Order: sequence, then structure tokens, then C-alpha cells
Amino acid sequence: MSARPALFALLLGASASSWGCGVCIEDRIAAVYDHAVVSRALGAKHQVAFFHVDGPLAADAGKSVAALAGSASGVDRGSARVSAQSRTLSVAFDPRRTSFAQLQGLLERKLAPKGFSLLPLKLMERPAEWADASR
Amino acid sequence: MKKTAIALALMGLVGCGERPDPYDVAKMDLKPVPAKVHAERHKGAFAEGKSLSMGAELKPLDPAAVKTVRLDTTHKIIEIAPGVKFSAWTFGDQVPGPTVRARVGDRIRFVMTNRSDEPVPAPALVAAPMMHSMDFHAAMVSPQDKYRSIAPGQTIEFEFTANYPGIFMYHCGTPMILEHIASGMYGAVIVEPRNGYPTKADREYVIVQSEFYAKPDPGKRKVAGAPLYVLDGERLRSAQPTHTVFNGLHNGMVANPLPAKTGERVRLHVLNVGPSRTSSFHVVGTIFDRVWIEGNPDNQFRGMQTVLLGSSNSATVEFLIPEDGSYIMVDHHFANASQGAIGLISTAAKPPAKELEHHNMPASATPTDPEAVAGKLDFESKCLACHSVGGGKKLGPDVAGVTKRRSQAWLARWLKDPEGMLKTDADAKAMLKEYNNIPMPNQNLSDAEVRRMLKYFQWVDAQPAGAVKSAGGGH
Repeated sequence: MSARPALFALLLGASASSWGCGVCIEDRIAAVYDHAVVSRALGAKHQVAFFHVDGPLAADAGKSVAALAGSASGVDRGSARVSAQSRTLSVAFDPRRTSFAQLQGLLERKLAPKGFSLLPLKLMERPAEWADASR
Repeated sequence: MKKTAIALALMGLVGCGERPDPYDVAKMDLKPVPAKVHAERHKGAFAEGKSLSMGAELKPLDPAAVKTVRLDTTHKIIEIAPGVKFSAWTFGDQVPGPTVRARVGDRIRFVMTNRSDEPVPAPALVAAPMMHSMDFHAAMVSPQDKYRSIAPGQTIEFEFTANYPGIFMYHCGTPMILEHIASGMYGAVIVEPRNGYPTKADREYVIVQSEFYAKPDPGKRKVAGAPLYVLDGERLRSAQPTHTVFNGLHNGMVANPLPAKTGERVRLHVLNVGPSRTSSFHVVGTIFDRVWIEGNPDNQFRGMQTVLLGSSNSATVEFLIPEDGSYIMVDHHFANASQGAIGLISTAAKPPAKELEHHNMPASATPTDPEAVAGKLDFESKCLACHSVGGGKKLGPDVAGVTKRRSQAWLARWLKDPEGMLKTDADAKAMLKEYNNIPMPNQNLSDAEVRRMLKYFQWVDAQPAGAVKSAGGGH
């Protein structure tokens, strides 16, 4: 087991056992869920990816991190949303141009200089349907 | 003979010791069934189930041991006070959500579709669709499984057994929970003891107390000609509600009293959902014969005047209607009552207005202009201790008619700088003498607050004489 899947498994385990109300995966997604972004993306057959943000994310850094993530190539313009409180990032992207794994790599290259790394949480491919984003 | 008596006494003790514990956890149903989340959107009614009561009047218990309950989430405009159209989020398309009634041992099969993205019947303005969830305080389940947030268009199904009797809150648990509850996502589950209540009531009602934190829409949108109100996040975080209400409506059960007859025993299931304030629930004119804290008859008090309920606390209270009249339900924190936490239980369909005046409760008249509404709230929070509206002199003058006695400019200066006026203005000096040399303290009002308060005073003076009466005097 590589370090990243192991950490992700730890994250999932923690969400089920020790984290309180408001921090399980769906609640974290809710913190960045923007229905207009989701509708626009899915309408164009794009997808929306949700990530855990690891690193020194200050309480007031949401907008600057969203701007940084939004500037990554492959990310739909204006689609990045960040919740500093729940440490969650969401972006829309076109899977025909960028695979999910490529997207994560592109985002991390943008965010790494600031000390951030990403762990996938969920992927929305179709309306009202979550997919496992760790594949 | 003596030995026989001792033996019988011991048998009695043994008998008491063998009485089954109704809270024996070994006999509780804690078998988990995993929740299901799927993308099938329900298109029928927003609330379904024989165990649901939609208003204050509680339906009799549905005898079925398994109760299927649907409470879909919607976004819609509701009227929380005359002229105050508020952008709300709901369970079952109403605020509060429908009341679920069950009995200990009953299985609740719950299903909820997030329909916050659907257009609802007019008025059509709604908040952006978002994720929602359901948290039943009546359940003993894993929150991470059952109380998951679901996206618009998704449906969640889960089940649980009601193991304890009581009145339990349900609410949306999606972050920010405070905003979801303050927007209207709450309701009550009433779980009767397995063998029913120890008393027989003639009437049963559910009273849900809650707060609203409303401000005029910054975008100045209107609903049917009236200003739209939206959640005021600043007031919400500092726990300063604009409205405190029973069953979702300012003074709602004053206009539509709950019926009862002389000699009847009334049972109220009272739940304070907050989200942030305490209720001191009282019924004027009677004494609570029984109070079951949290709605459980094992937690019984007798002969109480008031029951104190923190946020998400509840109580069942029972009392007799001693004679014909209108019995006034209030939050005896009168600042809350003045914001609308008032209702009537009446032996008459329409109680005469003079009864309200007798108890110095506010009439239902309230301004609709957002600035005047804000001014009213400012006045009630800062000035009501010393001034009345139409109730005569207190420590300071009655403000009814003040805009006819003084100019706008004079009033603005007075509200802004009373100390300065007392040094230089002859009318201010004369008023100080008339009111026993007690100076009006400077409330440090901003220019905007002064403007709003003057708008409220102008509104008061534009009403028919005697139509507006302030609360705050008690009774």
C-alpha cells in the first residue's frame, strides 16, 4: 500500500469513528457544494471533483487558495471552491481533456509551493450521483 | 402474624425489584440497518405518512408498529410575521416541519429527497439549492451513516426504532448547522411511552418555539409587493433574533387560538428548537398540573408555573382549563414574547382584543417597511424598559404621538446626543424635570439606527389611536 492510499484510508476511518458532526465526507462536500457550478459542469458533461486539502490552510485563505486552484490548467474557469473550515476543495473539469489523476497532479503542482497537498474525496459524474474518487 | 407481615413485605420488595426496567438496554432495538443513498427523485407530496401532524393539533397515534415517514427538503418563501416574507429552507415544505408521532418500540422508516432545486408553488424566489441532511434526536444510530448530507436530487433512506419516550427535535445537520436550523429546518418527534401516558388528555397540541434572524434582502427583491427578508448572519452568530415565535409565526396563535373547553385537560408538547435562545414557557391563568421533562412521564414535576427549556429541550405540560377565557402561552423571557412568542388557548373561537390589552401583550400590528421593522426591534431591545408605546408614562414618556409633539430634527438630535441636549435645549431640560431628574442614557445609536427608530415612531403615529401597544410590562 503506497503512502497516499494509506493516508486516504486513515482519513476515511477517522471520518467514521472520531470526527464529530459536520466533518464526515458528505458534510465537507456540502461546505463547498455550489449548485450553479455543479449544474453548469454536468450540463456540459464535465465532472466535479472534491478534495481534502492537507497543509497550512489559514481560516481566511479560502479565496486565495481557490484562485490558485482555479488557475490550474484543466480546471473550469470560476469553478474552484474552498472551505478553509472543512479543509475541502472542489473544482469542475472536462474529463475528455484531463483525467482525474492528471487533474490532481496539475492542482498539486499549483498548490505545492504553498505547502498544500490533496487527497481525493468524491467525484460527481452525473447529477445526484457520487463516485469513488480514489480510483 | 408478625412473621407473615415481614414475609409479605419482603415479597413486596422482591416484587418491586423484579419490575422490568423500561430502559433495559439489552431489550432495546439497536440493530443497525445501513442507510441507502440513491439518485431516484421523489415527485409526489413533500411530506407523507399516517403518523404526521401538519399543524399544532396532534393526530391520535397511528397504531401501526412500522411508520413510514417522508420529509423532503424544499426552499420556499414563508411569512414569519405580517409583511415579513422570509427565504426559508424546509422539511416537508413547511416550517416547522410536520410532527412525527410514534410509540416506544415503533420502527420509523424514513425517506427524504433533497428537492431544494425544484421550483415550488409561488412565491417563486428561493435560495440556491444546496445539500441537506436529517438528524433525528429520537434515534440511536451512527450519524456518519444515517445523517449524511445529500445533494439536490438525491434520496436517503434509513430506519431506527424509538427506544425512549419523549419529545425529540429533528433538524438538518449539514454545515453550517446554525444556518440550516435558523432557516427553518426543524420539527418534533413525539414518542409515547410503550403503554401510553398515565393521564387522559382532552386536547393535545404541539408547540415548537424557534427564532428567526431576518434582514431585508440586500438586493431589495420583493415578493408579491412586499420586501423579501433573508437570513441575517451577523445577528445569527451573535444570537440576536428578530423574531421569536411559536409554530413558525409571529403571534400566530393569537390570530388563530387553539380551542379548548372549560373543565378540559390540555396537554401541550413543547419543544424549543432555538437555535440559540432559551424558553421560559408559561401559560397565563393556569398551573401545570404535570410537567414531564423532555416529554417522558418518568421525569415528572407537579404544580409548576413555568418550564425552562434550553435549545433542543422539551417538556410535556398538562393543565386544566378552569373557566371560560383565553389562556396565554408565552415565553416568560418577555423580550422573546415581544418578538412574537405568544399564543392563545381559548374557549372562544376569536378572543376579544381587550384581553390582550389587559395582559399588556403586543397586538399583532407591526410595520412592513424594513427600516421601520428594524427600528421597532431596536426600540424593543434598547428603550422598552423605560418607555411604552401607547401604554402611558413609565420612567420616560410614552412614545406614542411623539412625532406629533416634536420635530424630526429635534428627535434625531435627542436620540443621538441626550447629554448635549440637556445642557442646551429648554424642552429637554423641562422634560428632565418632569421625569424626576432621571436623564435618558445615551444608547450610542448610529445615524442609521436613529433614522430607523424615527421611521418606527412615524409608523406608530400613522396607526389608528390605540392600535399599537408595546409589550414589556408583564402582567
